[in-house]
Amino acid sequence: MAATNEWRAICDKFTNAQNLTEIESRNDPENDPFRSKYKARELLREIYCEEEGAGLRAAKLGAVEYYLGVNHVDTEELPAGQEHLMNCMKLLERCRVSSLNVSLFIHVRNQLGILWAGRDETETAQGFLETAESIYQRYMKEDGSPPTDMTEYFAAEESLLTHQERIKRFELAYTHTMYYLAQVYKNLGQTERAATYCHTTLQRQLQLNQFTPMEWALNAATLSQYYITKGRYMEGRHCLSAATVISDLAGEVPSEAAAQENEAESERREHLRQKRAEIARCWIKYCLNLLQDAKKQLEDNIGELDTDRQEELKRARRREEEEEEKGRKSALLFGSEDTFDSIASIEEKVMCLFPLDFTEARSVFLVGQNHVTQAKDYFQMDGYVTDHIEILQDHSALFRSLAFFEEDLERRCKMHKRRVDMLEPICNDLNAQYYLMIRRQLMFELAETYNEMMDLKLALANRQADTQSLDNHTIKKFNHLCSASAKYFQMFLDSLCSPEGKFPERLEEEVLRPALVARFRVARLHSRFISTSPTVQLDNLNKSLENYKYVVQYCEANPEAGATVETELELSKEMAGLLPLKINRLKARMASNN
Amino acid sequence: MAGASVKVAVRVRPFNSREIGRNAKCVIQMQGNTTCISNPKQPKDGAKNFTFDYSYWSHTTPDDPGFTSQTQVYKDIGEEMLLHAFEGYNVCIFAYGQTGAGKSYTMMGKQEPGQEGIIPQLCEDLFQRTGENTDPDLTYSVEVSYMEIYCERVRDLLNPKSQGTLRVREHPILGPYVEDLSKLAVTGFTDIRDLMDAGNKARTVAATNMNETSSRSHAVFTIVFTQKRRDQMTSLDTEKVSKISLVDLAGSERADSSGAKGMRLKEGANINKSLTTLGKVISALAEMQSSKKRKSDFIPYRDSVLTWLLKENLGGNSRTAMIAALSPADINYEETLSTLRYADRAKQIRCNAVINEDPNAKLIRELKAEVERLRNLLFSQGLQELLDNAVNNNNNINNGPGGVAGASPSPLQLALTSNGITPENGPAPPGAEPVSEGDTPADPDQLIEDGEEREEGESTENISKEEAAERLMETEKIIAELNETWEEKLRKTESIRLERESLLVEMGVSIKEDGGTLGVFSPKGTPHLVNLNEDPLMSECLLYYIKEGVTRVGQQDVDIKLSGQFIKEIHCVFVSETNEQGEAARKSVSGGHSGAVSRSRDLR
Repeated sequence: MAATNEWRAICDKFTNAQNLTEIESRNDPENDPFRSKYKARELLREIYCEEEGAGLRAAKLGAVEYYLGVNHVDTEELPAGQEHLMNCMKLLERCRVSSLNVSLFIHVRNQLGILWAGRDETETAQGFLETAESIYQRYMKEDGSPPTDMTEYFAAEESLLTHQERIKRFELAYTHTMYYLAQVYKNLGQTERAATYCHTTLQRQLQLNQFTPMEWALNAATLSQYYITKGRYMEGRHCLSAATVISDLAGEVPSEAAAQENEAESERREHLRQKRAEIARCWIKYCLNLLQDAKKQLEDNIGELDTDRQEELKRARRREEEEEEKGRKSALLFGSEDTFDSIASIEEKVMCLFPLDFTEARSVFLVGQNHVTQAKDYFQMDGYVTDHIEILQDHSALFRSLAFFEEDLERRCKMHKRRVDMLEPICNDLNAQYYLMIRRQLMFELAETYNEMMDLKLALANRQADTQSLDNHTIKKFNHLCSASAKYFQMFLDSLCSPEGKFPERLEEEVLRPALVARFRVARLHSRFISTSPTVQLDNLNKSLENYKYVVQYCEANPEAGATVETELELSKEMAGLLPLKINRLKARMASNN
Repeated sequence: MAGASVKVAVRVRPFNSREIGRNAKCVIQMQGNTTCISNPKQPKDGAKNFTFDYSYWSHTTPDDPGFTSQTQVYKDIGEEMLLHAFEGYNVCIFAYGQTGAGKSYTMMGKQEPGQEGIIPQLCEDLFQRTGENTDPDLTYSVEVSYMEIYCERVRDLLNPKSQGTLRVREHPILGPYVEDLSKLAVTGFTDIRDLMDAGNKARTVAATNMNETSSRSHAVFTIVFTQKRRDQMTSLDTEKVSKISLVDLAGSERADSSGAKGMRLKEGANINKSLTTLGKVISALAEMQSSKKRKSDFIPYRDSVLTWLLKENLGGNSRTAMIAALSPADINYEETLSTLRYADRAKQIRCNAVINEDPNAKLIRELKAEVERLRNLLFSQGLQELLDNAVNNNNNINNGPGGVAGASPSPLQLALTSNGITPENGPAPPGAEPVSEGDTPADPDQLIEDGEEREEGESTENISKEEAAERLMETEKIIAELNETWEEKLRKTESIRLERESLLVEMGVSIKEDGGTLGVFSPKGTPHLVNLNEDPLMSECLLYYIKEGVTRVGQQDVDIKLSGQFIKEIHCVFVSETNEQGEAARKSVSGGHSGAVSRSRDLR
C-alpha cells in the first residue's frame, strides 16, 4: 500500500512537471520567462525509481534524465542539458532496443541533434540523427509493435495509451528525425538529400494525418519549385498535384457575402484565396520552365527549331515514357488512400516530359495560362502591383516559349503581339519612382518583342513574295516595328539617366551589360530602317554609327566592361570601322545626284 | 539611376556606467573604414575584420582625433540622403543594433547642442533649406507618418482612433502604401519632434499594455516631402514627391522572432524544432537552388512587411543607408559580432530585379553576315580611298587591296541589299494605308481565340457589386486624399492631435500646459510617476502626476489608467498631503507592486 502511494506520488509529480512545461510555461511573464520550467525541473529531480527489472529501471531513469536534459536546454543551460541527455544515452547503452525503450532511443538523439546543430557542430548532430534513423528502421523491420511512450513510464495503469496513440507519438518522433536531418543536410550543403528528407517529412505528415491542409499544400508547392529548377519535372508535377488536392481539403472559400458578415470569415476568405493563388503561381513556373527547357533542347545555334533534333528526341521518347513509369513506381509518392487517385488524375492533365511539338507545347501552355488567370484573380493590379506584373511577365514568357514551337510565322507574330498588348500599357502607366526596376525589365522585353515581330514580318514578306521587292504596306509596318523596338531600348537607356538627364559616365554593374546591349541593338535597328530617301538613310546610318561607337568607346574607357559584351563589342568595332565607308559612299552618291 | 545597393555604416559608442562598473574591455578597433572585433575568449586568434562604407569611432571623447561626432555622422549620411530627397528620390535610413548599443543616440541623440542625432539634424536642415527658398513659384510641404510593425502587423502610432492593424497595399501610381495610415501636416521641426514623441508614447503605451518589448518591433517614421513648382506660362503645377523613411529595426538579440529574419540575413546552423517551420526550410532550400540561376521559380513564402517595404525601396528610384550601432564591451561580444555580420550582409542586399535578355544569336549571325558583305564589297571594288578614311577613324580594319574609288553602285541598293530586300519603287498602291499590328484581321486560329476569349473574360472582370463598390471606395479615398488642401491637412492634423492628447489625459498621463507632450519635463516639487523601459527611447516617456489628495491607479474608474496583464482593477492608491512647509509628502501607498511598471519619483 505504501509502495503504491509512493508510486502514485511519483506519477503525480511527473504529470505536474509535464503540465508545467507544456501548458503553464506559456503564461510565464517576460521578466521571469522560465518560472514554470524551473518548477518542473525541481519536480523531475525528485523522481526516483527502485524496484523492477534492470531494463525498465534504466529506461525510466533514462527518461527522467531526458526530461531534465530538455528542461535545461529550454532554459538556455546547454552544458547541463547536454550532460543529462548524455546520462540518458549511458543508461540506454546497456539496453537492447525494444518496444519498451525505442521511443526514448529516438527522442534523446533528436534532442542531441538539435543541441549540437545549435553549436555549429553539424557533423556531430548528423551522427546522432542518422543513428536515430537507423534505430527506427531496424526496429520497424524486426519488431514493429506499438512502442511504449515515455510518458507511460510514470502513468498509472488506467491511463496507459491506446496502441493507436502509441503509434502516433512514435511516428511523430521519427517524422521530427526526418525533418531535423533535412535541416542538417541543408546546412551541410547537401541540397539534394535535404530535399528528399523534406519530401519524406511531408509524406509522413500526410500518411499519419498530422498536417494542416493549406500549410501542407503550400509546402509541397514550394518543394516543387526546388524540383523544377533542378529539371526534375516528374517530382515537381507530383508535388504540385498533391498541393492542389490537399489545398481543397482546407474547405470552400467563403463567399463574399459571408465575408462581409463577419471578420473571421473575411480573414479565412483572404487566406484561402491568397494561398490558392500562390499555388497557381507555382504551377505557372512549372509550365514555363518545362516549355523553356524543352526549347533549349530543341533549338539550333540561332534559336530556331532544329527538326533533326526534334526527330531524334521523338524517337527517344518511347524509352523515356517507360522510364517515367518506372520512376513513378520507385519515387516517393504522396497520398493517403483517399487522395492518391485524385493526385494521379491531376498529374495526368499535364505532361512532365519535354513537349516536342506544337500540340504538346500548346497543352502545357494552356495549363499555365489557366493558372495565370487564377493567380491574377487574387493578385490584382490594384493592391498587388509587383505580384500582378510578375504574373504578367510569366504569361508573356509562356507565349514566347509557345511561339518557338509555332511553325506558322503569321501566328507566331500574333503571339508576340499578345505579349506587347499585355505589357505595353503597364510599362507606360507605372510610376518610375517606385517601380523603376520593373519598368526597365518591361522596356527591355518590349524592345525585344518588337524586334522579334519585325524579323518575323520580314521573313514572312520574303517568303510570300516571289520577287525581292516589298510592298509599301509591308515597309511601313516593318519600319513601325523597327522604330517601336528602338524606342523601348532608348527608353531603357534614358531610365539610367540622372534627374538632370545626363547619361552616367560609369554604368552600375547590374545594368552594365543590358545598357551596352541596348546601345548595340539600337545601332543595329537604325541601320535596318527602310527608306528611299538618301537623307533619311544618312541620318539613320549616322545614328547607328554613333551607337556602335559608344559601345567601343565605353569599353575602351572601362576595359573591364569588354568581358561582359565580348561578341557585341567585336561586332561594334567592325561596324564602327565599316559604317563610315557606307556613309561616305552615300554622301558621294548624294553629291553626284545633285 | 538607382542606387540598388545599400550604404552601410557602423558606429561604436563609449562604455556605459554598467560596463565601466564591470570593468569591461573594449573588443572593437577601427581603422579607416575597417572595423575589427576580437574574441575576448580567444584573444590570440579570433579577430575578425569587416569593411563598411563608414566605420565610426565614437568610443572616446571629442578630444580624440579619431572621434566621430554626431555632426560628422549627419554630414556623411543624413545630408547626402536629404540632398537625394530634394532631387526627388525616395530615401531610407535603417538603424540596427541590440538594445542599448546606441541606436537611439545616433538616430535621435539628445536635446543639447551638438548632441542631436541624424533625425533632428535632418529635419532642421530640411526646414532651413526650404525656408531659404525665395522662388515664388516653388512651394514645399511636409507631412509625416509614424507606424510600428510588430509580429507582421502594422499599427498607426499617430492616430489614436486607428485601432487594429492596417493593410499594406501597392498602387501602380502611388507605389506601396499603408492603407489608412494617417499623414499629418507639419510646418516646422518642432511639429515633427512633437509627433515623434507622441508616437513614441503610443508605442510605449501599447508595449506596456500588451507585454511587448520594443526590441521586437520595428518603427518606421516617414517624412513625405513635396516640392510643388508652378509654371507661370501654363499655370500648371508639377509636383515632386519624395519619401524619407527612418526605420528603427528591432534589436538584434531577438531578431529571429521579430521579422528581421525576413531580410534573410540571419545565418547559423540552428535546427528549427517545430514542424510548423517546415515551410521556411523548404523555401530556403528552393531559394538556394534558384540563386544560382536567374529567377525562374516562385517561392510562396510571404516576406515580412518590412522586407516588403525595403524591397520597394530598393526596387524604385531610391537611396538606402543603414547604420548599425555597436557596443564596445567584451560582455556583448556575441551580439556585437552578430550585428557586424548582419551589417556585412546588408552591403550585399540588392534588388533582384535583373534584366533577362533574350539570347540574340540570330541577330549576331545576321550582323556578322553584314560585316562580311560590307567587307567583300569593299575589297572587291578596291575602295582604297574610302578605306584610308576609315583607317583614320578606326584602325581595327585590316588593310584591303589598293584601288581607286570608282563609280559606286547605288547606295540605296547597298543599304537595302544588306537586309536582303529591295523596296518597291513605284508609288504606293491606292488604299495601302499603314495598318497597325493590332488591326491585322484575326485568323480563325483556335489557340489565339482561346486566349483572346480568356483575356476578354478577365478584362471585363466578373467582379461582384460589393467588390466593385469596395474598389471604388478605395479609389475615392485616394483621390480625396490627393485633393485635400494644405489647410485641410493642417486642420486634420490638429484634430488628431487633440484626440491623441485627450486619450493620454484619460489615461492619467500628464501634458504640458501648452499641449506639448515632449520628453520628460520633470516637474520640480510635484510628485509624479514615470514609466521605465529597457529601451532608453521608450523609458521615462510617460509621466503621471500624483495630485494632492488621493490618486488611484488601476484598470477602471481611476485617475491613472494602466492596462496590462498584471494590473489589478484597483492596483494601488497614492495619497499626497502637503505639510506645513509647503512640501509635498507621501502619506501612503497601498496595493500591489507598481514597481514593475513605473517608478515613483520625487516623493519625499
